[in-house]
Amino acid sequence: MRTAKKIMAASAAVASMFAFTACGESNTNATPGAQPTDTNTAEAKGEITFWGWDSGNAMGDIIAAFEKANPGITVNFNNTGTAEKTSTALTNAISAGKGAPDVVMLEDPTVTQFAVTGDLLDLTAFGADKLADDYAAGPWNKLQYNNAPYALPIDSGPEMFFYNKAVFDKAGVDGESIKTWDDYYEAAKKIRATGAYITNMAGTSNDYQPFTAQAWQAGAQPWKVDGTKITINMSSDAGLKKYTDFVQKLIDEDLVDTKTSNWSDAWNRGLNDGSIASLTIGAWMPTNLISGAPDQAGNWRVAQLPQWESGKEVSAEDGGSALAVVKSSASQAAAYKFIEYLTHGDGAQLMADTGTFPSLKKILSSSAFTDPNNEANKKTNDYFGGQNVNQVLAEAAQRPTEKFQYLPYNPFAQTAYGDEVSKAYTKEITLAEAMKNYANKLAEQGKSQGYDVTVE
Amino acid sequence: MSQQTSVARDRGADAIPVNKHRRDWRGWKFMWPFAVIFVLVFIIPIVYAVYISFFKRKLALGNRTVFVGFDNYIRLFQDQQFWQGVGRVAAFTVIQVPVMLVLAALMALALDSMKLHGTKFFRISTFLPYAVPAVVSTMIWGFVYGAKYGLVGSLNDLLGTHFDVLDPSVLLVAIGNINTWEFTGYNMLIFYSALSTIPHSLYEAAAIDGATEWQIVRRIKMPELRGSLAITVIFSIVGSFQLFNEPQILKTMVPGNAINTSYTPNIYAYNLSFTANDSNYAAALAIVMAVITMIIAYAVQLKSMKEQMK
Amino acid sequence: MSKNYTAADLKAMERNARKAAKAQAKRVARDEAAERKRFAKNGFSNPANPTRSLGLTIVCAIFAIYCLFPFYYLLVNATKTQSEFMSKLFGLAPGHNPFATLWDNIVTVFTYQNGIFGRWFLNTILYVVVGAGGATFLAIMGGYALAKFRFPGRKLVFAIIIGSISVPGIALAVPQFLLFAKLNLTQSPWAMIIPSLVSTFGLYLMWIFSDQAVPDELLEAARVDGAGEFRTFFQISLPLLAPGIVTTALFTIVATWNNYFLPLIMLTGSQQWYPLTIGLNQWNDQANTAGGQAIQNLVITGSLITIIPLVIAFLLLQKYWQSGLAAGAVKE
Repeated sequence: MRTAKKIMAASAAVASMFAFTACGESNTNATPGAQPTDTNTAEAKGEITFWGWDSGNAMGDIIAAFEKANPGITVNFNNTGTAEKTSTALTNAISAGKGAPDVVMLEDPTVTQFAVTGDLLDLTAFGADKLADDYAAGPWNKLQYNNAPYALPIDSGPEMFFYNKAVFDKAGVDGESIKTWDDYYEAAKKIRATGAYITNMAGTSNDYQPFTAQAWQAGAQPWKVDGTKITINMSSDAGLKKYTDFVQKLIDEDLVDTKTSNWSDAWNRGLNDGSIASLTIGAWMPTNLISGAPDQAGNWRVAQLPQWESGKEVSAEDGGSALAVVKSSASQAAAYKFIEYLTHGDGAQLMADTGTFPSLKKILSSSAFTDPNNEANKKTNDYFGGQNVNQVLAEAAQRPTEKFQYLPYNPFAQTAYGDEVSKAYTKEITLAEAMKNYANKLAEQGKSQGYDVTVE
Repeated sequence: MSQQTSVARDRGADAIPVNKHRRDWRGWKFMWPFAVIFVLVFIIPIVYAVYISFFKRKLALGNRTVFVGFDNYIRLFQDQQFWQGVGRVAAFTVIQVPVMLVLAALMALALDSMKLHGTKFFRISTFLPYAVPAVVSTMIWGFVYGAKYGLVGSLNDLLGTHFDVLDPSVLLVAIGNINTWEFTGYNMLIFYSALSTIPHSLYEAAAIDGATEWQIVRRIKMPELRGSLAITVIFSIVGSFQLFNEPQILKTMVPGNAINTSYTPNIYAYNLSFTANDSNYAAALAIVMAVITMIIAYAVQLKSMKEQMK
Repeated sequence: MSKNYTAADLKAMERNARKAAKAQAKRVARDEAAERKRFAKNGFSNPANPTRSLGLTIVCAIFAIYCLFPFYYLLVNATKTQSEFMSKLFGLAPGHNPFATLWDNIVTVFTYQNGIFGRWFLNTILYVVVGAGGATFLAIMGGYALAKFRFPGRKLVFAIIIGSISVPGIALAVPQFLLFAKLNLTQSPWAMIIPSLVSTFGLYLMWIFSDQAVPDELLEAARVDGAGEFRTFFQISLPLLAPGIVTTALFTIVATWNNYFLPLIMLTGSQQWYPLTIGLNQWNDQANTAGGQAIQNLVITGSLITIIPLVIAFLLLQKYWQSGLAAGAVKE
């Protein structure tokens, strides 16, 4: 009977559910520091799947170039949209034990999370550790776990100071002369007097990256991770306190737009109509400004990030992404060969040509990168009123950075930041109190994930 | 449904010869394909969700899951974020669902009254918003709402006012408007179809008896609506308790952090699963939400459901 | 009643029925017109055929404006370039060069990223044909069974369905994803189609409709004549159910066309199988990605293109869903 057959099929599905239940439990021996099983990149062949986003709309061409240079390897690229969606999809595929890609693009701070669970390969065996000096320190440092690289940086985002010269001029402020955060504060007052805001800060999860970058620049070390031990110090850390006091002053004196969050529709509008006069954000921002604030063409300028101490030249990272090899990959050597090509080999130059901000020193210091006659640079420089944008950005990328430790549960840290810290921007509580609540929330999550957490 | 039709139904069902000693399995010949897919898509995942709600995944142990008994449920009952979300969707339901259903019923009555010029046009235009995906309709309304960039902003410029319909204090109303816009037509259609099952001879008879129009509405049309009210209420309650798409998409349009990670229970579950690495806790949340929704749906409509089942 | 209905018999029956319905409609229209004349003369009000009311029409017109306004807004914004869009954001007036820009936007939508939008469009149609079509068919059979048979477990079915739809879909996504991954169905069209096959609301509609539209006497007669259940179903019941089927199909089509969350979880990593809703959202996200290009003009135009087929379907099927919904009125 056909009916009986179908019922059999249905019960087979149920049975397989139980099988997978069991599988779900046995899939738990993932040990941190997954080692590759095949490191023979010279003879690597096969088909690899690659998940990532494609800001420059050029991945197809770059992959074609790779395949041409490496016959025998084919790459299936799948545009997974955003960093958040990519890591969600990776988490899902890993817990299903099926369907994970060979190569994945991740935002730098999320790399640790997957390294901890043993789902990414330790790239040391491929010789990736020897590439350390070829990359800018900021992005490279973020990809290390237990002193081993788990991903290679495909782009980076040294924090920059972008400002709207037209608005600054109106307020009588010279953007070039802002060297320290104190200068910035004085400028903020003058700009506020014209009705605009120097910048926006709303404490949402979208403001988390600039927060970590600026706290990092101030020398903050709020989170320390040592194996399964985590120490959270958000109330007495000197660097963080410097940052908190400063921002509190901006909030109290109504010097920043606390209603507008980064990446919101109102934000784009504010950048486009001049009501938000500057941004401290990653070096990848020019592309977004050109398409997001077309009315201000010719008005924006870029400068180095203001310093906490005058005379210093400390940088910090905001954003940046990297490529990693997933442990379950059946073609690990081919996968590594591909990420090496994109981040270190010929592909890196192609990426840079399409507007990705590079992290490879070789490209940053090349004359082509800062050549104002270069086609790609022309468009950007025109938007920035003829300024040689890449020259400023490249300089920032070469500046030293401190080491900064993200939490292994960074996605949670990012969303919880919005829930807790935004309250300081709506003036329900002070920023110091918000940071304290935030620290407790992070500690709670850490404990529930099995960490041994101390709050200082 | 109306009494007449249910009487007819009962008579009809009795007419099927049923051997009292042998069970009549014939219905399953038609029911099984739906049942099989339903079991696959709903029942098994629900059973599995119940199962995993007794475990906990731990990042520090290489994401190993450990059995934790009722811990997730205990934590849930003490979780303020969760209960705030429940309170929010409950308030939303209490206001939005009646407004939407009353609008839908009025529109259905108006269409059915045949007193409109261009009934067809009104019927299609009321129903059309249902064709728009939630993703798109939220985006459009978000553009309308924007105090800085949208239509509200333009109006503010024009009138010199400072309305912000996305302000946290009125945000829920703004979301309610999107839902009302999306689903009034859908509910209207269900009501309208119920009304059009009334035989016109009944109206004629009533008219001959000298009934006023209002009496016809109250005595003939309203009872007919009550039948279809059961299903619309249940689907609407379930829908608004599961509020997700609209606030999730509005998130980047509202000022500051007005829509946080636990704004509605569903958004909370989403964030727990996908950013907090805690799908076990999210499963417990889903189970508890299901129980709450079911209790409310049954409490509101149990009687009419039972009538339906006769 | 003849022993078996041949195809020709059925066709003849159908033709006659259609003829009769047409004749009736004509008669009704004539009567109405006559009645209205009579009413104009001597002021007798007949609630079955009332006079048109301007006041009520105006009230409903306000509501109709509310319903249609966002469509206008979408259309107007689809006539703007990205830069017009950013500056005079979301105003009510069209862009500088509305028709050329709209055309330009449409062309760009279909050519951007190697024309992936067209692929998404075709995917959506595939999902609608197979998914919504299948869902309608399952709902017909299930609804028919619930209405016309007293089988064991019948009463339980409704309780289980209402119980199951009360479980938040978002939280079920993870278990559903894991199950589908186990069955090797994620990142494939099946991940989208199989969940679409269940339409609880469609089941309910068909249940109510079968109850009213298929007389038990007719089934009884067929059974007495020795027709099998399936034969009875396909030859006698299905034609009677036709108007209800269109209505159910309409709801399942909308549900499938607009499905968003589940495919997002199931299909991420398999861009070539995205339906339109997810594809559009991916484009929308691009503005919010570091170093990404804002292409809101394409998102808006793409949204417009996405809803056009449904609007057309609504308009074309209007006649049918009207008769489907009004079918109960036939049994006078």
